[in-house]
Amino acid sequence: MEINDQASGERKLQCDDVNRCFQLLESILDGELGETGKEVLKEKLAKCQPCFEHYHLEQAIRDVLKTKCTKQPVPNELADSIRQMIKESK
Amino acid sequence: MSEVQRRKYSQEEKTAIFDGEFMPHIDSMYNFAFRLTFDEDDAKDLVQDTYMKAFRFINSFEQGTNAKAWLFRILKNSFINEYRKKSKQPAKVDYQEVETFYNSDDVDYQSTTDLRAESVKDMLGDEISNALNALAVDFRTVIILADLEGFTYEEMAKILDIPIGTVRSRLHRARNLLKDQLKGYAQSMGYNTDEEEED
Repeated sequence: MEINDQASGERKLQCDDVNRCFQLLESILDGELGETGKEVLKEKLAKCQPCFEHYHLEQAIRDVLKTKCTKQPVPNELADSIRQMIKESK
Repeated sequence: MSEVQRRKYSQEEKTAIFDGEFMPHIDSMYNFAFRLTFDEDDAKDLVQDTYMKAFRFINSFEQGTNAKAWLFRILKNSFINEYRKKSKQPAKVDYQEVETFYNSDDVDYQSTTDLRAESVKDMLGDEISNALNALAVDFRTVIILADLEGFTYEEMAKILDIPIGTVRSRLHRARNLLKDQLKGYAQSMGYNTDEEEED
């Protein structure tokens, strides 16, 4: 979800309630607010520079964790050894 | 996970559940175990142990519910109860002290970081991984569950046996600690973390 469609000059530079806003933004990014989050988000990002910056940084962090974090290759024999252990325990 | 299931699965049903619903999660389970233990053999043991327990207690698994969350909960508990005790890791900070601090649900969101989204996007997988691995295990865990495995707050609350409010605040703190780590990388890569946005 990229939301970049507003003139940054019109955003206020101070957020009135950072604690509430940032918590809300983080919940939205974590997918906890569903559709209702989208409208709130649009408004916040259009009007508030600290919210805008916080949102994009938080989003970037989630994205790199999701897409770039190196995966550990699973040892080939692991699945077989588990099946074997289960068989023996029956 | 909630109620004890009275019903008993037949041997065929057990095998079907085990192969169809448990085994497909082996990659995620192993990666979680590895990020908890940082050791291939310990991770293997932990995953094997988890699957053995899952099979033994299969009657308390309700078919069609979230098998992955159920398995992750067993793995996490096995890690706490068995592996953490015999851990080879050097002395840690006073766990209780940290626990009291970060279990509080009141979080100050006011913290400012001059880390930029642009420099985060340019980071390499290894840098992200190392930053994550540098976090204390409870912070590392919530990030793995939320961002790498895509669990919801509610699922995480069940896996970790903590209230949803604590999930939210711990996750927030974990990501802030991660940002501190990433900021170190950003600076060492020569990014001016204060500079104007450039596209």
